[in-house]
Amino acid sequence: MLNGFKNPGRIALIGAKSEIGLAIVSQLPEDKSREVILVGRSGDYALDVTDRAARERVVEAIFDKGDLDLAIIAVGVLGNNPDKSDTENLVEAMGVNYLGSVHLLALIAERMKIQAHGTILVISSFAQVRPRDDNFAYGSTKAGLDFYARGLSAKLQGSGVKIKILRPGFVKSKMTAGMAIAPFSITTEECAQYGVRAISSKKVVTWAPSILKYVAMVFATMPPAIFRKISQR
Amino acid sequence: MQINSPQLTSGWGNNFHSLSSRAAASTVEQIQELVSTSKSVRGLLPIGLHRSYGDSALNSGGTLIDLAAFNGISIDMQSRTAVVGAGVTVAALERAALEKSLFPPVVPGTGFVTMGGAIAADIHGKSHHRTGSFSQCVRRITLMLASGGIVNLTPNDPEFWATVGGLGLTGVVIEIEIELHALQSNSVDVIEHRVKNLSEMIELLNRSDNDYEHTVAWIDLSGDYRGRGVVSLGNYGSTPVKAKESESTGPSLPSLAGKNFITPLTVSAFNEIWYRKPLKDGAVALTKYMHPLDGISHWNRIYGDTGFLQYQFVIDIGKEEIFDRLFRGLRDLKAASFLGVLKKFGNASQAPLSFPRSGWTLTLDYSMAVPGLEQFLRGFDEELVAAGGRVYLIKDSRVSPELIPLMYPQINQWRDIRRTMDPTGLWQSDQARRLHLC
Repeated sequence: MLNGFKNPGRIALIGAKSEIGLAIVSQLPEDKSREVILVGRSGDYALDVTDRAARERVVEAIFDKGDLDLAIIAVGVLGNNPDKSDTENLVEAMGVNYLGSVHLLALIAERMKIQAHGTILVISSFAQVRPRDDNFAYGSTKAGLDFYARGLSAKLQGSGVKIKILRPGFVKSKMTAGMAIAPFSITTEECAQYGVRAISSKKVVTWAPSILKYVAMVFATMPPAIFRKISQR
Repeated sequence: MQINSPQLTSGWGNNFHSLSSRAAASTVEQIQELVSTSKSVRGLLPIGLHRSYGDSALNSGGTLIDLAAFNGISIDMQSRTAVVGAGVTVAALERAALEKSLFPPVVPGTGFVTMGGAIAADIHGKSHHRTGSFSQCVRRITLMLASGGIVNLTPNDPEFWATVGGLGLTGVVIEIEIELHALQSNSVDVIEHRVKNLSEMIELLNRSDNDYEHTVAWIDLSGDYRGRGVVSLGNYGSTPVKAKESESTGPSLPSLAGKNFITPLTVSAFNEIWYRKPLKDGAVALTKYMHPLDGISHWNRIYGDTGFLQYQFVIDIGKEEIFDRLFRGLRDLKAASFLGVLKKFGNASQAPLSFPRSGWTLTLDYSMAVPGLEQFLRGFDEELVAAGGRVYLIKDSRVSPELIPLMYPQINQWRDIRRTMDPTGLWQSDQARRLHLC
């Protein structure tokens, strides 16, 4: 349960190795009696995100032990493994970023509806704004997740359950190591600050950094020829 | 019976907002119907007037049972007892009893507490050093169990003591039988003394407890935090006074656009005025003396949308040095409390979860918005536990669950009895979930 200061007593990080996820957890107000459930390939709640039965089993197990105040869905792959074909990479990214994440989101929301409280933070991406040559496959999976999360957020109004979406731009982390740094890039720690803010924000969507909201507006309205030129630089 | 669709409810501190259904029951059969048809895993919780400060009377995803219709009062002059429904308020019982020159021996600082709530919290009043807590004057509790069965419990039954202070988690109190005190008049003879600091306050309370039925001190925890204040001492009086007869409670504080008006500046100004106010010396109407804050309804709105918490703890006699530590910490935080209260408790009841026990109890109100308050209180809780103290659960909204067994060492005994009364876990509350009580 939340305490009177609205700080969570029990949280689950889906994606135990997510640098952004871990940084968000560590930036929450300190509380040594808080239970933090790390869901990943190993640990108490071992999960292979691409295994449907495992997803159902893990969500059941978490909620059977008590109320969950906050879930952070932070599983994702870029799908840029050079040893695999584009199509193989696409299938992997779809399995984790879309199918796995959306199913987990739906399962967790279903259980939170019963307890009539709880917040789910979904890590989306700036990449879902408009297809770019270098990452539209990844962007399409995040766009699907983001789209579903927005729809679910609206549908859950009045249920006590809140869905919050974090849309980071380029975050300097292990996931992006070796990639060319894009404009408005931020560190994992900075990204987590936006994540913490997103959890208690009244708005559904939080951009990290905030200026990306306006960059996205510009991108969305740009003529295709110009957009392609800019995004290929 | 109508079950309202889920709506947000909060405690008196306005710091939790919990979504639950509400069923207003007017007969025992209706409660039985709720019990037998409840399919929700989130269970049921009997409630009163939501004067608990935190989440004791909240049950998110579940159903709250409103017992306001159980409002019968019948007073027997011969035995000086009253049989009252769970939804009867302290104020209503006082009015009925006063007509017969009787009065409940234990009443809290507000009259807007129901009999069910008084049992659930084992409330105390200014007379605790003499009369003990509310349960000491209760002869019988009629309780509906999770099975739908109804039992009459007396102080000889362990289930009686599990229900007393049991936060509504043992069943639905339907009715209680309570002893009343015989009065000579409707007044209290009050004398007030101004004291310059905490040690003077403690000294005066220590000296006065033998001579006065009602003792309490208002303590100023703002400014220099030395604990100056006003000690109020009273005995049942023999001079009748004019008392407000109407049901109304005077002005209601309007919603102040959700803004918090409690800042160190406003608190210091208010406390200065309060400290300098003319001291009482003479007869005061009992109800006015007992419930000073009931003059303004919705006074909790002064803290705005972020809400506030009330921190009340008890500490053994001889451990007073903990107050210095607390006052220093609060001064460093610039956390100013409006109307702190110090009181010396008498003996504890035998209820495992009852709060009052021999020692000093201090009560402070703070806006949730005070920076650093959460971490400070968490640190102070540890010192409190190390010194053998505990916090009052009906006011709590933030204590760490692992401290509960240290504060309430008999909790396992309570859990065992509770389980026999409610094997399937029908009675649930947000607080029970937060603190892993059951």
